[in-house]
Amino acid sequence: MKNINRRSFLKVGFLSSTVLIMNGCELFGITTSQETIAVLQNDLFPKAEELGIDTVSYMSIISHHSRISKSDKKFIKNGVKWLNEEAVELYKKSYINLPSQERQSVLNSIVQTKWGSSWLDTMMRYILEASLGDPIYGSNKKEAGWKWLSFEGGQPRPKKAFL
Amino acid sequence: MYDICIIGSGAGASPIAYELSSAGYKVVVLEKGEYYKEEDFNKDELAVSRRDMFTPPLWEQKHIINEYSQSGKFTRYDGEESGWNFWNGSLVGGSSNLMSGYFHRMKPKDFELLSSYGEIKGANVVDWAITYDELEPYYDKVEKVIGVSGKVVKHKYQEPRSSQDFPYRELKTNGVTEWFDAACKELQFSAIPTPRAVLSQNALGRNACYYSNFCGSYGCASGAKGSARAALLQKCKAEIITDAFVYRLDSKEGKVTKAKYYTKHGISHTVNAKIFVLAAQAIETSRLLLNSKNKEFPNGMANSSGEVGKNLIFSAGGSGSGRFIFENLTKEQQQELMQVGVFFNRSLQDWYDYNDGCHIYKGGTIDFLFEHQNIVSRASREMYDAEGNLLWGEKLADRIQKRLTTSRVLTFEVFNDWLPTDNCSVSVDAEVEDKYGVPVGVINLNSHPHDLEVGEHLAQKAVEVLEKMGAVEIEYSISASPPPNLVAGGCRFGNDARTSVLNRECRAHDLENLYVSDASFMPTGGSVPYTWTIYANSFRIADVIRKALRV
Repeated sequence: MKNINRRSFLKVGFLSSTVLIMNGCELFGITTSQETIAVLQNDLFPKAEELGIDTVSYMSIISHHSRISKSDKKFIKNGVKWLNEEAVELYKKSYINLPSQERQSVLNSIVQTKWGSSWLDTMMRYILEASLGDPIYGSNKKEAGWKWLSFEGGQPRPKKAFL
Repeated sequence: MYDICIIGSGAGASPIAYELSSAGYKVVVLEKGEYYKEEDFNKDELAVSRRDMFTPPLWEQKHIINEYSQSGKFTRYDGEESGWNFWNGSLVGGSSNLMSGYFHRMKPKDFELLSSYGEIKGANVVDWAITYDELEPYYDKVEKVIGVSGKVVKHKYQEPRSSQDFPYRELKTNGVTEWFDAACKELQFSAIPTPRAVLSQNALGRNACYYSNFCGSYGCASGAKGSARAALLQKCKAEIITDAFVYRLDSKEGKVTKAKYYTKHGISHTVNAKIFVLAAQAIETSRLLLNSKNKEFPNGMANSSGEVGKNLIFSAGGSGSGRFIFENLTKEQQQELMQVGVFFNRSLQDWYDYNDGCHIYKGGTIDFLFEHQNIVSRASREMYDAEGNLLWGEKLADRIQKRLTTSRVLTFEVFNDWLPTDNCSVSVDAEVEDKYGVPVGVINLNSHPHDLEVGEHLAQKAVEVLEKMGAVEIEYSISASPPPNLVAGGCRFGNDARTSVLNRECRAHDLENLYVSDASFMPTGGSVPYTWTIYANSFRIADVIRKALRV
């Protein structure tokens, strides 16, 4: 296995870092933001997968982005934790281990809360950015999202991604 | 030693840089941001609109905002925590790079608001120190030098002009403007082709508009937009220093002696000049003066009156929209509706003043335009249903597709006077500092109830037009929220040094070589976007400074 020093580990960002899922005061389990977000994004916007849009890789850009504040990044990671803890409270399983219908129930439950509605709003906006942003960011492959909405983009297009 | 040191590079700064450097004077422009040129601009929504690439991150530079209620109590917001962003464009040319360029002149009565409409309780309304006639030649100059396209049509409030028509023909418009014109004719309203600071043909060494579909918020890749950079700075010999955040002015015996700036690495530099011109946009201009205290000016530079930062104004009003849906349109109309790139460009000024039977009110302007083409923003607006519930899954995807491909939104913006009041001002915070270690600006916000009343009247007129055109889902919001890009005041000009910061020539009463040439000088704002007036006044001050240097 390739050696990974602390600095390059930090560069991985919040997506791959460990999220502890608590059941009350007990440790229930461990997940990563990435695996929860991958399932969540498909639950929120299955159209993206249908169009071949890579919403997960876009979240990697967000996790390293110089213009996303530390507190916004922390909020995304905290949301992953709280989503899983809601899943544990309702069904005694982490979010990704639930069947589709129960995951929807978890979403319907958290959207009633202040943090949950705000977090889902945030996650949905990133999905739409991934789906409809310029293809130079790598997620809106072959302009699939734009074609879906008969959108042509503006000229000139960026020559490099703004990170 | 420079002849002139200009702080800021936007619409208030650049006419002076252009005129004085062209006249052979040694001019330096200090700009906090970077230098982007035509070849650097693109239409990347994620960078420009979602990640705010042209403004500082709020965790590095922010404002403190005190929002006042009518009872006089206020709520304090930290700009970083609340996300309340008052930056408009830190780049060479300033926010004029990112404007839509809706260009309206102020009307003669705007210069005499107090004399024309009388006092309003709780508002600090005064007449301007100059008249429309004094500024008219400079409005005319802006049409020719910056480049304004349009078509003069007769209407009740058409301001006097020294040129018969605009130097550049109207930009191309969408077919829906004909629906608008027909509706207005039926309602007996006067539809006005909106003048734009956008070239409709190659001219002035710049390329014509190429109808990119992305104008407002974006830099122009052809140079057609009359930004201060494209129209002036790129054409003149003024030296431009970027990454120069001016944090302090020094003075001695009634003269500014030095401007001191930091680079992003915190290295301090000093610039000496005979004349200093401050044009950092209204809030930052007042902040710099207030942060430049010394023995001579213990309350801030040029502030012997105590008026620096006072009477900050914005543009009052709000915005609204109506949707045109395919179900109500013929095939031909559907095609017209979805034609992108070309502009809408229509305005109404029928109620620039109006009589409700009891009083004559100063009214304002309504500009109509299609919803911005930003696709992420448009899709995001569909995330909630009519009851305000967040949607997801197939339901959301279906809604986005239907709404974005079989309907289009026409929006309107209302511009009316934001009356100056005691609680709307700029100060500096005693504790919070920015990344340079300089006290941040505090924006005290207060709006006068009269502003909302006028805005409401105008919005209802816009609704009549949308209804007549056959729009559905018509809605509007007139609010006391300040548009950060339409800000003025803080260093009023006037003839009385006890009640104003600047004299009629926009020179500080207190200092013989300090001019302020952004919108800070404006005691009232008129009922139009400010940029044309800022440009015109800056050309006027350029003439004043030229005379001063000759002496």
